[in-house]
Amino acid sequence: MTTVAHTPTEAHHAPMSFWRKYIFSTDHKIIGIQFLFVSLFFLLVGGLLAMQIRWQLGFPGKPLPGGGILPESMVSGGVILPEYYIQLVTMHGTFMVFFAIMPLLVGVYANFLIPLKIGTHDMAFPRINMWSFWLALLAGLIMLAGFFVPDGAPRAGWTMYAPLSARPDLSGATISQKLWSISIVVLGLSSVMGSVNYITTIINHRAPGMHWFRMPLSVWALFITAILAVLALPVLQGAAIMLLFDQTIGTHFFDPGAGGQPLLWQHLFWFFGHPEVYILILPAMGMVSDIIANGSRKPIFGYHSMVFAIIGIAFLGWIVWGHHMFMSGMNPTLGSTFMVSTLLIAVPSAIKVFNWMGTMWRGNLRFHVPMLNAIGFVSMFTIGGLSGIFMAATPVDIPLHDTQFIVAHLHYVLFGGSLFALFAAIPYWYPKMFGRMMSERIGKLHFFLTFIFYNMTFFPMHIIGMGGQMRRIYDPTIYDFLKPQQPLNVFISYSAFALFAVQFLFLFNFLWSLKRGKKAPQNPWEDNGMEWSLPNPAPHGNWDKTPNVYRGPYEFSAPEAGDKDYLPQYLKLPTDRDPVPAPLPAGGH
Amino acid sequence: MQTTTMTDAMRPPVPAEPGAGVYSNKLGMWVFLASDVMFFTALIGSYIVLRFGMGSAWARPGAVLNVPLTGLNTFLLICSSVSMVKAYAAIADGKKYFLRKVPGKTLQDGGLKFWLLVTIICGAGFVGVQVVEYIKLVGHGFTPTGYREGSLLAEHALADPVKYGAGVAGMYGSTFFTMTGFHGFHVTCGVISMLYLYFTKVLPEKYSPQDYRGIEVIGLYWHFVDLVWIILFTIVYLI
Amino acid sequence: MTTPTTHVRPNYMLIWLYLFVMTIAEVLLAFELPVSQNLKLILLLILAIWKAMLVALFFMHLKFERWRLRLIFIVPLPLAVILVTTVIMEKVF
Repeated sequence: MTTVAHTPTEAHHAPMSFWRKYIFSTDHKIIGIQFLFVSLFFLLVGGLLAMQIRWQLGFPGKPLPGGGILPESMVSGGVILPEYYIQLVTMHGTFMVFFAIMPLLVGVYANFLIPLKIGTHDMAFPRINMWSFWLALLAGLIMLAGFFVPDGAPRAGWTMYAPLSARPDLSGATISQKLWSISIVVLGLSSVMGSVNYITTIINHRAPGMHWFRMPLSVWALFITAILAVLALPVLQGAAIMLLFDQTIGTHFFDPGAGGQPLLWQHLFWFFGHPEVYILILPAMGMVSDIIANGSRKPIFGYHSMVFAIIGIAFLGWIVWGHHMFMSGMNPTLGSTFMVSTLLIAVPSAIKVFNWMGTMWRGNLRFHVPMLNAIGFVSMFTIGGLSGIFMAATPVDIPLHDTQFIVAHLHYVLFGGSLFALFAAIPYWYPKMFGRMMSERIGKLHFFLTFIFYNMTFFPMHIIGMGGQMRRIYDPTIYDFLKPQQPLNVFISYSAFALFAVQFLFLFNFLWSLKRGKKAPQNPWEDNGMEWSLPNPAPHGNWDKTPNVYRGPYEFSAPEAGDKDYLPQYLKLPTDRDPVPAPLPAGGH
Repeated sequence: MQTTTMTDAMRPPVPAEPGAGVYSNKLGMWVFLASDVMFFTALIGSYIVLRFGMGSAWARPGAVLNVPLTGLNTFLLICSSVSMVKAYAAIADGKKYFLRKVPGKTLQDGGLKFWLLVTIICGAGFVGVQVVEYIKLVGHGFTPTGYREGSLLAEHALADPVKYGAGVAGMYGSTFFTMTGFHGFHVTCGVISMLYLYFTKVLPEKYSPQDYRGIEVIGLYWHFVDLVWIILFTIVYLI
Repeated sequence: MTTPTTHVRPNYMLIWLYLFVMTIAEVLLAFELPVSQNLKLILLLILAIWKAMLVALFFMHLKFERWRLRLIFIVPLPLAVILVTTVIMEKVF
């Protein structure tokens, strides 16, 4: 067999300027870190918007502290105006979904982890990868500009239902609504470019020995997520373009008066929107699987069923979108079909939850910060999933639609789910990114306080939702039937303020550890993934020579490991044979 | 059994698991084309849904749009698709040249440079014809918002509202210009990409039978664009 | 070491001829033939899809590629059908 071809390393590159190395970088790790900083910024923006929403809901009519800095169009005498409130609600959702959670899960971890975990040097198309980041940043800035243009930010809800979103005369948002459409088209482009990269890299660039069923679940999840993204985002782009045309050149795709169909927007949006929410949870599930196996010192329970569950969720996710539209006046027969498919999709998700529990059962549990957050994920996601079952049943959804019950559900799966998974993943791979450890103590404090205040914030929303409080309303107290629930709103608001304040612990930990964190050993979590064979932080080009993979990703507590309780994928035991790669170019490099 | 011989240049330069069995650029382009299918699904699907909702109120085929001209344009695009695949076959056979005399045959044998140039010209021709078509349509009064007041089409629509689908002209215009416009945009991007490749890689003869990945990949994109047009021509112009 | 591939290269000019003839047939069908509207619609769609498949199978060489690659192109198609059929069923109601 020919010798392994020599691969590009740092030595082969001419020394790069600061700009090429850190700003216009094509290195997947740098791009992942760029996404991390930008997305954390947008997460903060989304949080600030949420604080203002909670202020208004908890204390309607009271002047917002610090509201004096906002212009008169937003606050009058310091009190949040209804026109501004609806912008807050719309943009909180928009920023959190498109510019915080999605890039944090996919932009950061697909970019950072995939080449490392499959044993290759970079993505299949590094320059396209770089473009993907810059387009995402551009899209975020275009969206942010919406607050600063005349007439303020879009205000038709993050779902931008037409014809409200198509008619500036109805919504009041003129320029920013068009910016929304443009931003979405640009973001879609970024997402598709990224996904093409992830899919191609995982299919074609796995190291020798990295068979499909030896890939860690984080990579499987990111792979399936990329497939979802590549097929779903273009539909949203098409819809956004039609909306833009309705707003600018006077077409009437969604305007019923001129023959358009408002429901067309809803169908197009949710046909994208439902796969989108699986894009927002699957990578989280994948990374949590890796972390729980590590924290339990046991192989993941039911690896194959976990893979098939991910595929099942992704597959079924295409045929459930109507459950967002039960109250739209749609065809009831269709409603029933969507109800059945939605109830079905709970099954693979439940399989995953049972398998996480099975992994932990009788494990040699290590409650490090990532593990704590991962366990938090499993429990909170389960609650979110249970409320989902309620709403999947159409008759139950009828009174619950557009109430705070839905808001509770979506925050349990997105915050309790995705964000807790991120609180697990960020410290877990921080050493690989920055060469240092985040503080365990601050991390644990952050976890416990977040967990407590999070449940205090969002659990009561189930109650006030069932009590009838609608979504996106400006002042619950104008309704007599909601007045008795207002104390709960106040309680939620105080809890939310505390929750937000606690996040500064995380932010401090993240930033402070960049320079002052304990220097990380090579494999601080005693994990099995390919990435831990590299020094911290991982060098440009990753490996000098393509590594070989000798076993699956979850060989914890394996007898062959000897006195260690983990057996990395890259470690060659005397009994192992080298994997046979696909035929190489004759003559090497 | 594969069409493209997996030459050495097309393998990943480092050891890897067997993946798709095709080189990454091709795999990436196929994945991108799958995403483009979804993009056109949104636009074309919306057209189908909106028109279905109108039923027989839609304008009759051929009333507003110039079917003969577009039929010719369709033929032009199909020709460009053939010349594209001939270009691909040429470089696969190592024919880097423009034209070469073949002993015993009257017609000269075209190489990559010839066939790709034909493709570019036909593609640019398609865009040109479409621009001309748009100008004429707008001149007659067909706009994305319907028949412009006082225009020729508006008069026709008053005289014969059934044939011209007077009530739903706005929808007709909206869907027509959006679908064909974005298709035209895709064609334009293709022509620009081919021009770029032509000058940077084809003329300096950088492609060889060992490595002609760029030609194959742009060819896939080009055929896809032709495929979408085949569908569009039928359901927009003929139905 | 290259994988030996022996395949018959499709006759591109023949495919071109088919496409040309089918296009003419389509235009004639749409304007000249006295056929009911629904039948016309079905026949035109069949012709269009057939032409599209000729391009996909022969010009894009899908006929000669592995199933894995064909799958990439095939996967979005049922999704497109699901979306359009569902929304049309909506309108019917």
